[in-house]
Amino acid sequence: MLLMSAIISGLGLGSMYGLIALGYHVTYTVSNTVNFSQGSVLMLAAVLGYTFAIRLGWPMPVAVILALLLCALCGLVVERFLVRPFAEKGSNGWLMATVAGGIILDNLVLFSFGKEPRSFPSPLATKPVEIFGAGVYPLQLVIPVVGLAIAIALQQLMQRTRHGKALLAVVQNADAARLMGINVRGAIAGSFAVSALFAGIAGLLIAPLYAVHSDMGTLFGIKAFAVAILGGMTSAWGVMLAGLIFGLAEALITAYFGSIYTQILTFALVIVALALMPNGLLGRAGVKKV
Amino acid sequence: MQQRPIVPIAIVVITLIGLLIAGASKGYTLFILALVAMTGVVGVGLNVLLGLTGQVSFGHVGFYAIGAYTTGILSLQGVSFWIALPLAGLIGAAVGFLLALPALRVKGPYLAMVTIAFAFIIEHGAVEWRGLTGGSNGLMGILPPSLGGINFGEREMAMLAVLLMGFAFALYHRLSSSAWGLGMRAVRDSEVAAQSLGLNPVTIKVTAFTLSAALTALAGALFSPLMMFIAPSSFPFFQSILFLLAVIIGGAGSVFGPLLGAIVVVGLPELLSDLAEYRLLFFGILLLVVLWAAPKGIIGSIAARFRREDPHVAANDGIDLAAWLKPASALSLVIEGLGISFGGIRAAHGVGFMAEPGKVTAVIGPNGAGKTTVLNMIGGFYRPDHGSIRLEADLAGQPAFAVSRAGIARTYQTTQLFGDLSVLDNIRIALRRGRLGLLLGKSKAGDDTALAEALLAFVGYTGPVARLAGALPHVDRRLVEIARALATRPRVLLLDEPAAGLMRGDKHSLSLLLRRIADCGISVILVEHDMALVMGISDHVVVLDAGTPIAAGTPAEVRQNPAVIKAYLGGAEMQGRPRVAPWSGPADAVLATVNLTAGYGAAPVLEKLSIAVKPGEMVALLGANGAGKSSAMRAISGLLRPIEGSVLLKDTELRQQPAHKIAASGLALVPEGRQVFPELSVHDNLLLGAYTRTDLKPEEEVAALLQRFPRLRERLHNRAGLLSGGEQQMLAVARGMIARPQVMMLDEPSLGLAPTIINEVFTVLADLRDEGVTILLVDQMAVLALAVADRAYVLESGHVVREGSATELRGDKALEAAYLGHVEN
Repeated sequence: MLLMSAIISGLGLGSMYGLIALGYHVTYTVSNTVNFSQGSVLMLAAVLGYTFAIRLGWPMPVAVILALLLCALCGLVVERFLVRPFAEKGSNGWLMATVAGGIILDNLVLFSFGKEPRSFPSPLATKPVEIFGAGVYPLQLVIPVVGLAIAIALQQLMQRTRHGKALLAVVQNADAARLMGINVRGAIAGSFAVSALFAGIAGLLIAPLYAVHSDMGTLFGIKAFAVAILGGMTSAWGVMLAGLIFGLAEALITAYFGSIYTQILTFALVIVALALMPNGLLGRAGVKKV
Repeated sequence: MQQRPIVPIAIVVITLIGLLIAGASKGYTLFILALVAMTGVVGVGLNVLLGLTGQVSFGHVGFYAIGAYTTGILSLQGVSFWIALPLAGLIGAAVGFLLALPALRVKGPYLAMVTIAFAFIIEHGAVEWRGLTGGSNGLMGILPPSLGGINFGEREMAMLAVLLMGFAFALYHRLSSSAWGLGMRAVRDSEVAAQSLGLNPVTIKVTAFTLSAALTALAGALFSPLMMFIAPSSFPFFQSILFLLAVIIGGAGSVFGPLLGAIVVVGLPELLSDLAEYRLLFFGILLLVVLWAAPKGIIGSIAARFRREDPHVAANDGIDLAAWLKPASALSLVIEGLGISFGGIRAAHGVGFMAEPGKVTAVIGPNGAGKTTVLNMIGGFYRPDHGSIRLEADLAGQPAFAVSRAGIARTYQTTQLFGDLSVLDNIRIALRRGRLGLLLGKSKAGDDTALAEALLAFVGYTGPVARLAGALPHVDRRLVEIARALATRPRVLLLDEPAAGLMRGDKHSLSLLLRRIADCGISVILVEHDMALVMGISDHVVVLDAGTPIAAGTPAEVRQNPAVIKAYLGGAEMQGRPRVAPWSGPADAVLATVNLTAGYGAAPVLEKLSIAVKPGEMVALLGANGAGKSSAMRAISGLLRPIEGSVLLKDTELRQQPAHKIAASGLALVPEGRQVFPELSVHDNLLLGAYTRTDLKPEEEVAALLQRFPRLRERLHNRAGLLSGGEQQMLAVARGMIARPQVMMLDEPSLGLAPTIINEVFTVLADLRDEGVTILLVDQMAVLALAVADRAYVLESGHVVREGSATELRGDKALEAAYLGHVEN
């Protein structure tokens, strides 16, 4: 029983880590930069969804779509003001700048939304259903399905659509992509929007399971970053796989050793894994040119 | 340079002021003073990492906690604080060392992750290891230390913290001017160049990390007796970011920057205590503003503004440099059977030659011949698959720093100076030959400086020795880089295109310099495109083509060798089909450049280049390597920016336009080296060629292209990266054609292809020409290009030196001279 419910919640959590980590992956492959405020974007989606749907009482689809659009916009803003000014000068100031952006966003929400954690009621998280003897909310089953569906959808969009292929072209050879008439700057900005969108989807999905508050995203963002690194950053499948492994490991450690060891063991695993495989599970080493 | 003696005095003064404040204040102020000083110490520790080695750590709160728990736990066990304090530093150093080993194998975001994970492990470890740390309740009743009968109160703790800060400043100052500090900054600026001076980046970075961890733990060690209570909640992850903020606000790399940062980070929340809850918001905004407006931090920016450059110029103070440079024994570098493959493609094979002391040996060959690859194998950056590189022992496969210590120095195609070090320091670090001595040992600055100046004078650098290398003009970079290589007292000097980007006069002085270096008894190995220079100074020339040697001998022998002429100009078995009837068409150019100028540094790559291509015409750009042909193509297509002058496509000015807009307005460049998208299928590559077209009929047009390039048909759904070089070139041409451009530009379509494939490609080009496509062609194979083209321009040093119809230029002796060097009388 314990095992079953651990596996279900581990897969759910893991697919969320994977989804947020896919966001890191998308921007890293296109531009070698990441948005360290992904966790705050996740929080923003939950807070906006709560505000629109619960406080203002708008219909759920409207609330969800609007929250996600605003997240994507947030991604564009991050790219334009916190990443591009540094990345185009070859400075790694974007690293601290996006951290700062996350801090600012968290605190702005803290003062406008309030300190109290709010619960985000969802019809999918009211009554547990029994599966193999373990009681789980339907939402916990929906989450991994949605997570994997988005990963597959991303894969399909990249492989099948004109713009997806243009993005792949930018990743493989930015100069040649320019010669094809592809707007590389626009592609980079777009990748940040997509990245923020993924974090937003994750935020809305997990909001009913966790309370909505201003620093709910911090730990998620950091763990998802660990997942992205473990997966190898450059491989979408590696990132998703690492997400599931990380989520399962976390749930199993919690179930069998108690929650007190979860953080210590999982983060220790990250360091050990990177010491053994500096390029992550499925990542590739770059070629050194002199 | 000049402020040097000021810093120690400033350290003493600041420490005294701190002590005075501690003596004069009481209560809460003392507490704040102590916190500022401790944060300052952490800042100095982080500065060793961020300022000297350029690494970021998000985990320093972990080391701070380790220090605090060490003194906290030991003092509760009754151990004296004065034993616990150094122990805290040692434990911090040990943990830092262990963490650095995995952490510094990785870089950038990966390193950030390892340090974040470390901070979390320490925080949660402190919660869980209850027996030792008291769990989340923490440790209470930690007694302050006593010394000589005085029981420490807040005042004494504050004084102790101020003294520790003074010690940290002194340590940082000593370190940053020591050989190790120079080494750390060298590794930060260019790891590649540091290795080739015999520095081992891993050792240097691990040392910096360990030292940084030790200082942070020492600061933490004062935390527990000051607070008399510690708990995991005293060390939140966010504190790491505040520590970083302190360094960034003050300015990474400046001695006192962390103090200013610490005052802001600790002091501001106290000043704004009514607004305490907005603390983090405020810090977030402050961090952003500093990153945007003053990336060097406040102290760093002010220092940069007031920095006066010492105008002192290098002079040789009676040092016999020729004797100093002369190797102890005359040994030749012998290379045999050297070969390497990348992803199944042979980049070099069976390369062998001997470089004798006192001689200049040149390695030449057309583009893509594998010259730099050979240099990289000798220099230890590539591990050869076969062959030997013998100086005394076999060096094949040794890492770069070992090769350097064995006596092989090098310079780079794009100079790799340590940009934030002064010219003098660039040389001084090289003089250490990888031996940095004791960590804080005094560098024998006097001797080093005299020698370094003598070397700079020897190479003919006439600028101030205190100038930052990053601010040097192009010529001086080349010279300083040569001086830096010589500073390692090499037996062998490898030079990768030292004349690239130099003006004619500078090239002349360079060739004299290379001769003088060889005359000291050093083996000089030169890879260079400028044939006049090569032929003028080389004793021995080795010619590579497609990764294998095709000729060797004296310059005169090589210049007359038919195989060499063929490799450079194209041979008889390669044939292009001329137009049946001479071209005639409208006189108005569809594509024109007017006084197009572009490039970096002292010498522009393109200088007032004016060419024109008329509708339906096929025009070739000819000239030796480095004459500016490819740069012209890149400048026209928008890849090379900024440019001066104008580029006109049907009277539309393209100078300000980005590459993707230029492509969309009807200019297709088939770039040098094919540049297909390797992970995409052939079919997808083709469709991307038509990315900007809205009227594409995919099936019909792809079918039509396959008709023309039957080789691509069976490969249509394979990944383009799996195609042979010839097939990739066909794909690149097809990808350009499907854009239906007004002008199609091809950059080196024959590069690295076998003769039969070259003929196939050029047959296609002749077909396109006959169908009326306007083409601008750059190709190494001048004979071939002139066979298919209607008209041609010959370029030298970025401008047109000859223009004429293809018929006129065929067999023109001046053209051969442009490729293989003018025969000097």
